[in-house]
This record gives sequence, structure tokens and C-alpha cells, in this order.
Amino acid sequence: MVPYEYYVALSGLLMVLGLIGVAIRRNIIALLISTELMLNAVNIAFVAFDMKLGDVGGQVFVFFILTIAAAEASVGLGLIMAIYRLRKDVDTETLTELKH
Amino acid sequence: MSVLQELVAGLGAPDFSVVVPEIIILLTAFTIFAIELFTKARFLISVITVFGLLLAGIVIPFTPEGETFYGLYQVDTFSLTFKFFLVMTSFFVVIIMRPYLEAKNTYYGEYYYLLLFSLLGMMMMVSSPNLITFYVGIELASISMYILAGMYRKDYLSKEGAFKYLIMGGTGTALISYGIALIYGRTGSFDFSTIATSITSGNLDVGAVGGLAILLIGLALKASSVPFHFWTPDAYQGATTPITAFMAVAAKIATFAVILKIMVEAFPFAYPVWTLGWALLAAASMIFGNFVALRQDNVKRMLAYSSIAHSGYILAALASPTDFAFTALIFYSLVYIFMGLGGFIFLSAMERQYGWSNHINDFKGLAKRSPVMALFMLVYMFSMLGIPPTVGFFGKLGVFIALIGSNIWWLAVVLVVMSIISAGYYLRIVIYMYMHEPTSKARFNFSLGEAFALAFMATFILILGIYPTLFWDISGYLTAVLLQNIGK
Repeated sequence: MVPYEYYVALSGLLMVLGLIGVAIRRNIIALLISTELMLNAVNIAFVAFDMKLGDVGGQVFVFFILTIAAAEASVGLGLIMAIYRLRKDVDTETLTELKH
Repeated sequence: MSVLQELVAGLGAPDFSVVVPEIIILLTAFTIFAIELFTKARFLISVITVFGLLLAGIVIPFTPEGETFYGLYQVDTFSLTFKFFLVMTSFFVVIIMRPYLEAKNTYYGEYYYLLLFSLLGMMMMVSSPNLITFYVGIELASISMYILAGMYRKDYLSKEGAFKYLIMGGTGTALISYGIALIYGRTGSFDFSTIATSITSGNLDVGAVGGLAILLIGLALKASSVPFHFWTPDAYQGATTPITAFMAVAAKIATFAVILKIMVEAFPFAYPVWTLGWALLAAASMIFGNFVALRQDNVKRMLAYSSIAHSGYILAALASPTDFAFTALIFYSLVYIFMGLGGFIFLSAMERQYGWSNHINDFKGLAKRSPVMALFMLVYMFSMLGIPPTVGFFGKLGVFIALIGSNIWWLAVVLVVMSIISAGYYLRIVIYMYMHEPTSKARFNFSLGEAFALAFMATFILILGIYPTLFWDISGYLTAVLLQNIGK
């Protein structure tokens, strides 16, 4: 059986990839996918710790995260649709109008 | 018997009497949700919302205390007091919302029930004895607010602000849940009291400190503290002004309350970690927020940066782990409601007037055009700046004394110096109002709700400035309640 530390390491890696994605990606759809990637990294972490502890609390939390990720993705896609309709563009470099 | 019946027979039915305010808010939201589909009577929808909020506000003082939902929901004086103030904030936002939305031609019935769902999330947040309840509450509040921020009809800036808010908020959510995962892996529980007994000052290992640090960063992101503040000015400027008032006051207050609750109840023995973390974040927020606010010409954006600075002043109290500092934090959060609402409701009322664009030049000669409104704005600005007859002074004084009492001089000095620098932009508005000639003679007209809300806020700021003990005693009592909960 694969020890739980491997899963925790994997989840940490995915989390960092998601954070890097939010920082450097310019496509607004890719930004949304990066946040979803981070939430899925958390799911892996929860299930891994659950394996270690032999408890079901972590698995229950995963259901909450799944629901919340779905809600967030739907709101995000709605906003992307609205932005695309107004601008016909999905690149953050050309979209940014609010600046100090 | 079915599985569900066996479960209820074994555990007992949950006690619903302690969540009556939440039930009222939820039913009001669903009622509007249904009615809004069939009727276009805008007056009816806002009256039902106001009625539901008033009913919840009246019920809260009579709600019994206790735990329910099998230990996942805790109602005590701390949560009830914050619920009362959150409902009050929403009430003032709702009574000024309809004239604004109609003037800007962006009326949707969705504003009302999304605001109530968001309020429900905040009420869940402040009464959570458990990380699961806290997480679900903060997400209900945030996701409703992403939609509220982006609902300005045919306005691109609103969509852009809302999308930035969504991405940064989503990152915050992921960080908070990763922090919860690490703490769960370390302690095996989501309960504040179990976590508090598992993590003591003697066994602060990588899991505990890492989990706490990531959770802290996520919470700082939700409280818009520098360096995680990027979304704040954009989302605040893009959203419709009543919603900005709701985001800047209700969401902030609920976040501060829950930060205090988590830090004190779940990590009482890990205080060396979080006091340092919040001290650094608070100092960065105060310095950055005030310096950037100085350069703003758009007053709405300036107030957004000023709210970042105020997050700094409030979170600075967490740098010292004493009951005096917690009292100062609660006191400042409660009085910030009046200043923040006052400032943003003022802008909301003004934006409806002819030719008003929130630019600083629009404030020229306001004292001659409308002396009463100029006086109200003067009171809010003096209170945010912290000049004695107003209550803002006592908020800052409390935090300052708490910091000195714990020998954190560097942060106390930063607080005072940054308050002085903030005079540069608060007094600029006052100077433009009183010492310039008006450029336009157009008449103002205000709705009854706006006049009442602005007068209420200004009066309360002055009353509390003369009798600060009124709120200071409440804050002290709430701190005692909070400290009693440790290790229960």
C-alpha cells in the first residue's frame, strides 16, 4: 500500500502549481481552472489524512469542498460569459481597466 | 424504522429554538426568491426584506443560548451580538438600495435575496465552534458576494472587479481549506476545543505551524489585508455602492469576529505564531493602505484603500494576546460599522445626484450646497481619522494602549504615524467641502431612507464618542465569553 505521505506530497505539489497558475496565467479561463486545481489538491490532502487517522471526518469535508468548488466554478463561468459578451476577449493583459 | 429515524432516535432532534434568527432570514430570502418570479412590484420586495430583517433583529435579544446540530453550531452572547450588528448593517443597506438601483437603471430582485443569503453565511460564521461550520459559512457569504459584486447592468468594470474578487477569493478558500486539512491531519479533529488541547506551546511542529500559517494567510486574504489585498479596491469600485457598503462593513466585521474566535478558541497556546503573523500583516496594511489612499482622486476608491488601512488598525490588536487587546478589537470592529456605513451610504446617496462622478472635485463647495450633508461627511471623516469628539478616536486609543501594554512599541508607533498620514486624504475631502466655491448649483434630493441612515450613523458616532463605555462594556463582556470557551 502507498504510504499517506506520498499523497500529501502530491497534494502540496498540485497546490503550488495552482498558486503559480493564478500568479502567471493570462487567460481568465485558465485562472478559474487554477483555483479549481487548488481545491482538488485540498481534496487529496483530506483523503490522505483520513487514511492516516482512520476517521471519516475528512471524507465528509471533501463533499463540502466539492459542492463549494462547483458553486464557485458556475459563478466564475457566468462572469467569464458576461465579460466575453462585453469585450470579446479573455486575456487579462488587454482586459484590465481598473488600475490605481 | 428507517436509518434516518434511528439516527434521530439515537441522537435526539436538533434544538431549533437557538437558530430562530437564521430561520427567519432564510425564510425571508426564499419568500423573495419565489415572489420575485411572479411580481414586478419593487416596493413589495424591499418591504418584505426590511420586515424580515427587523423581525430577526427583534428576535435576536430573546434567542436562548446553547449548542445545536450535534455540537456543530454554538449560540452564545458573542455570536448573538455580532448577529445583531450584522442584521442592523444589512437593514441600513437595504433601505438605501432601491433608490440607488433605480437611478442607475440596474434594478434586479436578485440583489435582495443574495444579500440575505450572504448575511446568513456571516451569521453561520460567527456562531461556529467548528471549522466545518466556519468553512461553509464563509463560502456561503463569499459566493453570494461574488455575484452581488458583478451585478451592475451592462457595466464592464463591475464584471472585472467581481472576477478579480472571485479568483482571489477562490485562492483564499483553497488556502483556508488546505490549512484546515493540515490541522485536521495533525490533530484529527475540526472542533476548536479539541484543536486547542492538541496543539500546545510544547509541541509546535511543522504540521501545526504550517497549518496555522496557511489558515492565517487565507483569513488575511478574506479580510483584505496587505499583501493579499489586490481584489479589494477593484471589487469595491466596480460594485454598486450599497453593495460596496455591505462588503466593506458586514463582510469585514464578520471576518474579524471569526478571526478572533478561531485564534483565541482554537489556537490559544500557539499565540507566539499568530501574534507575529498578524502584527506583520497589520503593519503592512496600515502603511500600504494609507500611502496609496493619498494618491486617489476617486473618492470611492480612496475609501476602499482606507478600509484596507482600517483592517490594519483592527488586526493590529491581535499582535498582543491579552484580554484588553481582544476587547479593543471587538470595540473597533463594532464602531467601524458606523463610520464605514456612513461613508459608503453618503457616496451612494450622492451618486444619484445629477453630474456626480465620485471624483474629489465633485466635493467642491458641498458645504454651501447642502450644509447638513457636508456636516455628516465631516463627522465620518473625523471619526475615521480619529479626532476626539468622535468614536474613531477611542477605537484607535484602545488598540494603542493594548499594544503599549504588551510592549509592542514598533507597531504602536506605526499606528500613530499612519493615523497622522491618513489626515492627508480625510482632511482633503473636508477642505474641498468647506474651503472651495461650488462649481455647480444643481439641487440635491435625498430619499427618506438615505437621510435617516446618514443621520443615524452621524448621531451614533457622536453619542459613542461621548459615552464610549457603552460599547466598551459590551466588548469587554464578549471577550470574557470568548475566553470562557477556551478548552470547554
